[in-house]
Amino acid sequence: MAENKKYWKGIEELVDSEVVNNARNNEFPAELAADEFLGNEEKLGESSTSRRDFLKYVGFSTAAATLAACESPISESIPYVVAPEEIIPGEANYYATSYYDGHDYASVLVKTREGRPIKIENNKLAPINGGANARVHASVLNLYDATRVQAPMIDGQEASWSDVDGAVKKGVDAANASGKQVVMLTSTVLSPTAQKLINEFGAKQGNFKHVQYDGFSYSGKLDALAAATGKRALPMYNFAKADVIVGFGADFLGDWIGQGVSADYASRRKPGKNMSRHIQFETNMTLTGSSADKRYKIKPSQIGAALTALYAELGGSVSGGKTSLSAEIKAAAKELKAAGRNGLVVSGTNDADIEAMTIAINNLLGNGGNTVDYSKRTYFRKGDDKAMDQLIADMNSGNVGAVIIDNLNVAYVLSGNAKLASGMEKVATKVYISEKMDETAKLCNIVAAKHNNLESWGDAMPADGMYSIMQPTIRPLFKTRQMEDCLLKWSGNSSSYYDYLTSNWNTGILAGSDWNKALHDGVLVSTSKVVNEGAEEGESKGFIANLFGSSEEETTETTDDGSVNLSAIAGRLNKGTGSGMEMEFYQMTGMGIGTIANNPWLLEFPDPVTRVSWDNFVTMSASDAIALEVNNWHVSNGAVNGNKVNITVNGTTLENVPVFIQPGQAQGTVGLAVGYGRNGAGKAADGVGHNAFALMANGSHATSVEISKAEGEHEFACIQLAHTMMGRKIVNETNLDTFLNGNPAEWNEKTQFETFKGPLSADETNLWDDFDHETGHMWNMSIDMNLCNGCGACVIACHSENNVPVVGKDEMRKSRDMHWLRIDRYYSSDMTEEVADEEGVSAIDKFAAMEHPSESPDVYFQPVMCQHCNHAPCETVCPVAATTHSSEGLNHMTYNRCIGTRYCANNCPYKVRRFNWFQYNNGSQEQFNVNYSMNDDLGRMVLNPDVTVRARGVMEKCSLCIQRIQLGKLEAKKEGHPVKDGDIQTACQQACDTDAIAFGDINDKSSQIFKLKQDPRMYHLLEEVGTQPSVFYQTKVRNRA
Amino acid sequence: MKKRFTDRISHIFLSLILVLTATFTTAQDVKNGKALFNANCAACHKLDKKLIGPALAGITEKRDAEWLHKWIKDNAALRASGDADAIAIFEEYNGSVMSAFPNLSDQDIDDILAYTADVPEEKVVSTDAPAPAEVEDDNTMFLVALGVILFLLIILMVRVKNTLKQVQGQPETTLMEDANVITRTALKNPRIMTLITIVIAVIFLQQLFVALNKVGVTQDYQPEQPIAFSHKLHAGDNQIDCNYCHYGARKSMESNIPSANVCMNCHMNIQEGPNTGTEEISKIYAAVGFDPESGSYIEDYEQKPIKWVRIHDLPDLSYFNHSQHVTAGGLDCQTCHGPIEEMEEVYQYSPLTMGWCVNCHRETKVKVESNDYYTEMHEKLKEKYGKDANITVEMIGGLECGKCHY
Repeated sequence: MAENKKYWKGIEELVDSEVVNNARNNEFPAELAADEFLGNEEKLGESSTSRRDFLKYVGFSTAAATLAACESPISESIPYVVAPEEIIPGEANYYATSYYDGHDYASVLVKTREGRPIKIENNKLAPINGGANARVHASVLNLYDATRVQAPMIDGQEASWSDVDGAVKKGVDAANASGKQVVMLTSTVLSPTAQKLINEFGAKQGNFKHVQYDGFSYSGKLDALAAATGKRALPMYNFAKADVIVGFGADFLGDWIGQGVSADYASRRKPGKNMSRHIQFETNMTLTGSSADKRYKIKPSQIGAALTALYAELGGSVSGGKTSLSAEIKAAAKELKAAGRNGLVVSGTNDADIEAMTIAINNLLGNGGNTVDYSKRTYFRKGDDKAMDQLIADMNSGNVGAVIIDNLNVAYVLSGNAKLASGMEKVATKVYISEKMDETAKLCNIVAAKHNNLESWGDAMPADGMYSIMQPTIRPLFKTRQMEDCLLKWSGNSSSYYDYLTSNWNTGILAGSDWNKALHDGVLVSTSKVVNEGAEEGESKGFIANLFGSSEEETTETTDDGSVNLSAIAGRLNKGTGSGMEMEFYQMTGMGIGTIANNPWLLEFPDPVTRVSWDNFVTMSASDAIALEVNNWHVSNGAVNGNKVNITVNGTTLENVPVFIQPGQAQGTVGLAVGYGRNGAGKAADGVGHNAFALMANGSHATSVEISKAEGEHEFACIQLAHTMMGRKIVNETNLDTFLNGNPAEWNEKTQFETFKGPLSADETNLWDDFDHETGHMWNMSIDMNLCNGCGACVIACHSENNVPVVGKDEMRKSRDMHWLRIDRYYSSDMTEEVADEEGVSAIDKFAAMEHPSESPDVYFQPVMCQHCNHAPCETVCPVAATTHSSEGLNHMTYNRCIGTRYCANNCPYKVRRFNWFQYNNGSQEQFNVNYSMNDDLGRMVLNPDVTVRARGVMEKCSLCIQRIQLGKLEAKKEGHPVKDGDIQTACQQACDTDAIAFGDINDKSSQIFKLKQDPRMYHLLEEVGTQPSVFYQTKVRNRA
Repeated sequence: MKKRFTDRISHIFLSLILVLTATFTTAQDVKNGKALFNANCAACHKLDKKLIGPALAGITEKRDAEWLHKWIKDNAALRASGDADAIAIFEEYNGSVMSAFPNLSDQDIDDILAYTADVPEEKVVSTDAPAPAEVEDDNTMFLVALGVILFLLIILMVRVKNTLKQVQGQPETTLMEDANVITRTALKNPRIMTLITIVIAVIFLQQLFVALNKVGVTQDYQPEQPIAFSHKLHAGDNQIDCNYCHYGARKSMESNIPSANVCMNCHMNIQEGPNTGTEEISKIYAAVGFDPESGSYIEDYEQKPIKWVRIHDLPDLSYFNHSQHVTAGGLDCQTCHGPIEEMEEVYQYSPLTMGWCVNCHRETKVKVESNDYYTEMHEKLKEKYGKDANITVEMIGGLECGKCHY
């Protein structure tokens, strides 16, 4: 059939007009009539606009536009209408409060400027956890995260709070009416007042359950403690009293049971007769193992056998397990025996048997009440895996009518448990009180937008008799409400949580103390023992009936009810075969379990041990890597690439996980960090790394795995490319015996140069005139290599204090990190000068071998910031004098003078100068926008107004917190007295829990820093270069032969 | 000369007013009464309006003097004695307690009462004498006069020349013709042209240099502010301490712009000013939500911050701390801000350039003797610079880059 369709381009074509016809026929019209016009001089001459006029107009309009644009914008200055009494613009206010996110707890000070929290500092008044870790220091940034839930949501739609209240009440009432459970699911509740409130809320429901679950669970440990001591609570560990510490997989300096012990531990790590001895048995290379005097590698499945062996060695009547480390266990037992009640054994897994054996060992040592105190409990972990399992079972069988989840991203931490999602589907009302639209939010129909810590009232009882208060330091930024206020509303109580909290304190906790003083201090040590309602006080039963009594007593008895039988436990522990590949889950220092994952500071923070940022990965020993044919190698720009593997646990496979070869990793094991692989945490964290929780079953910290090589390469952002010191004295080290009895000139040798005047030290041989360092101040910093455990709190504190930019993974790969303070990590090598001499190794082979870290290396952490050289190589090469020396011993960096030649960085022997390759701020470049601390209006509120935000093309570096020095001097001048030692603290020093960093004026002869400079352990980094730095280090001393 | 003349006139005028005022003075000293009223009563009372207490104009007509004396001296005692009127007033004003004034003598109270009774006349007296017209700037006057004289001189010279020409029998030329001839000759002379070009070029370059140096320098910047606040009136005439409003200057890095509640400390009562009446003050009320009629704050008022225009704005790359200069350094505000107490509208007095900062740091002596902070340092500095040397800011490191740039 013939088609007779007519196609037309426009409605005009339908009418047969001349214009259209012409246009159709001349589809390509003849060339423009330019020639006709321009070629005809006569016509052109007649034109009213001559070419000159035209140019004049152009010129004039350009000039006019330029001039008009020259007018400077009017900037407004808007004061308060009614100024708050306590705020003076330009002055910082500090408030004591508590940080708790369900995982990390710390008592902190919050620095606010004009009502904006800008920095978190340690609360030195706190009796427990006054030293915040890197995550807590960084948490201030999460307050300004624009991807927080800004208003309550019902079924994914923004709703009003009254709608939410209505919906929750309706859901809870429906559950009560049908006789189903109403469940409150939280992480450990640390707050006694919140616990009271939850109980009150529960009492109003028909069938109420409160389930506590910890993302990184220590439920097994708690169960063992419950059986042993009658109370399901952790004991207080006192590392300050421990002469000998033996750790079994317990990373107590990194991530353990929540109790901050690093300050106590460090108090006994100063070299001297009093120095403690620390032996660590562990799988992954942890911060704790790095600090140990002796570290032994052990597979997770072998820890039980090692413990029974130790117990047997100490005289316990169980059959000791067989391990390859029997000699080491024997030696440890000998030392522990000698230490007696000053010995301490700690273990770290979520296995009740292991904890039971540890308790038995400690009991044998008789250290109860001394190094481990069962009468004083801590409450950082209360989670119960069995209750959680029961809840999931109840949900699946349809017995749960409503669940309210708080402080626990349950869908993420239980992403290995498929039954959770199916169970949640059967619950009618699912309320999630959350700051984020994260994995759990996606399973819930009501999301109650939650205050940030810094916007909330609250309290905490971290340990018996120790309380702390959480107070808001800013008004809520969004339409949010804190969990407690929600519960008050939902249980029909019209009072605010603040009133509820104060009345609870006034009627109980304060016991006559002053609320205002407690609020000011942030902490209260109360003698009146208020029972934490979460853990019931019960009668002591179990196998250590006489726990606080004599240590001589045999403790292998079974109890009347036969609940605990130590021999049976030992039997189970000794079964660990140790064959096959095992994996231990761990928490990376920067990420923890990922509660505040969307934090660019933490993502960029290089892991202290591996020095890798923006990633998680499988850590594997070199020999296993060779067997599996996986490797790490450098690519042309210096960055590290590596192979990937697939990890299978019980049929679940995590694919394409990169492998990072880790010296010190136990052979036959791998480590994998949790907290990564997020979905819904925010634009910085989403998609970074792999979710290890998907492989974690039953909250177990270790599991057996199958590993196979996968295709493809992974690009790491590892910022330290050299792992050993190549025989140089970068970290000076000696052992305790040499330190106590040897000659400092030998173990802390100063480099001498042969000159015509005889041998001279580097300080005495120089070309330059010396500055006057006697007049006024002379600021120096001391870093004690014995006290630094690499925790990285200082790095984050520096980030936050000095507006350090975040550059992202790609730039990190190019070694363009901007950290003013880095913590270098070095491994010892099997090849040393001595070994080479003995074995007659050639120089080339020697240095080649020296590059390789040992399979069981010693680890050194060395914080390095600008050394503030008094003969600074950078100062002499700057063509514009942008970096100059101050009379106070500081090396100044003047950003506005810098033209970016980078000569200074090239001439710096310490490589501490950082160049702004890009505009990292103001949202000017898309790739840096994940760093909301500088690139969006909300995030910028975290910036320290006293420190310049540097522009592209300038060099920057540590200033020794000159803004704090200037402020400290000014305060002294205003009050009319000399600067007192300790009044000026740098940000890194303030953040250092272990006092590894000291700072002060060495012209003040009574100052701590003056004494430290005279210390025989003192040495300068790269002394032989003759830079005469103002920063010096203290020799590392290990307590071993 | 002229100025002196006007001064004299104003003096005469002022004395005239004083004489006039004196004639109004009665046995009760109204002037003293006014002073006492302002010092003791004005916080709660106005003459013509209810404030915290009742309006007091003509109070003597309502109450007898004896009762008033008792009330003022100790109203609580009067109430306690069961005086019905006193109790009624107390209740009328919701039990707000009036302070007792035992320190006022009977004569003082009479003076105050005379003042309250004397309102209409007082108003005449208190009306400001018309300010003598501002004298034109002397310099300008002089230049204008000089110009006129020169112009007359030129005309005179042309006249003389033409007269001479007339005598010689040559044709007369007008002024314009002469000018034309001179210009043309000059333009045809290459030397003169070269000279002129050079002069113009040099002036142009010099001006360009000056102009470029002023990029970013906002000296004399005097923007119009949302409220025509007069520093002259407040800091100059009324002698209010700078620190009362800018309380941050002594303690903090910033010398804060006062918040409206600071204004309200006084303007709750002072509802009318001498310059603009109620117009500008009402803007404060609009910001904080204050109703001058009822003398109370409006509840649930959405407060509107006042958007002042920032005048002194250092770039972010330099750190400046007010308390360092005001408290530690002991400088007067005027050192940098100029005669602020004479400014009706504030302008930026100093250039705020780095050269200006540095120069001051070179010249300013540090008060080392009076501050223990410097004691030890001073000993060392004496060794270094000599016993009697003046220690300047430069000598204690005040010129080092990192002291201001970080």
